[in-house]
Amino acid sequence: MSNALWAKMHGGTTHFPIALIMASALFDMAGLFFPDNPDKTRRSSFQAAGFYTIILGTLGALGAVGSGLVMSKGQLLGQGNLARHHAFLWPAFGLLVSLTIWRMVVRDRASARAFKIYLAGSMLTAVLMSAAGYWGGELLLNG
Amino acid sequence: METKAAFLAAAGALTLLGVTFALSPLLQPATAAASQHSTNIVSTAASHGMEGEAKRGHSLFDHNCAHCHGDDARGDEGPSLYDLRKTDARITKIIKEGIKGEMPRFGTKLNDADIQALIAYLRTLKN
Repeated sequence: MSNALWAKMHGGTTHFPIALIMASALFDMAGLFFPDNPDKTRRSSFQAAGFYTIILGTLGALGAVGSGLVMSKGQLLGQGNLARHHAFLWPAFGLLVSLTIWRMVVRDRASARAFKIYLAGSMLTAVLMSAAGYWGGELLLNG
Repeated sequence: METKAAFLAAAGALTLLGVTFALSPLLQPATAAASQHSTNIVSTAASHGMEGEAKRGHSLFDHNCAHCHGDDARGDEGPSLYDLRKTDARITKIIKEGIKGEMPRFGTKLNDADIQALIAYLRTLKN
């Protein structure tokens, strides 16, 4: 497969984790802070949305990391903007995977305190992922 | 339950990162998986009488340009770089400033010595 195709695959897949982890954090936050409706479905609906979006985001991240590694010929750090991109990416990727596994195991049985810690982690991941995306964009424009 | 899940999550993430980091050398040109490629580089270098600067240029090419111009520089998304008729100054300008909408700028990533090495490599690419 040509490098250009891997580059396009990276460009295509990389937006999913960035957008979906943000969406997941927002859904979970909405579930936590919005008052529930009388039949108690609003909060669980927000949390279900947060649950599925983080799983989809992680699947997107696997595709993005795989295609990115092939495209960069296995460079884990690199130089310049690529190094900056990776400096944010690897912590974000590690956090995203661990948060997803935790969420899949715990599902909706988390205590309020644990869920708030999880939410802080997902917001941190969203910030790190956005920073990785920013430096990825810089890489595209400035090499 | 939550603590066990946290340990499992940390172990899962570390395992995945470990596997990713362990497999990544297989994708690098200078590793066993790419040893054939490396051999080709050396033999190509030898056949073109590549000097040290051009060899360094080839390495820079692999990491910065091959994504678009192809591993063999014969073109992919970007054009073939064989038999370039542009002057060194023109090539330097293009590498530094890029081409709007077509090629990124490398002026902040590559210094003058890097660009000279790249040009030395590009000058070895002849049909």
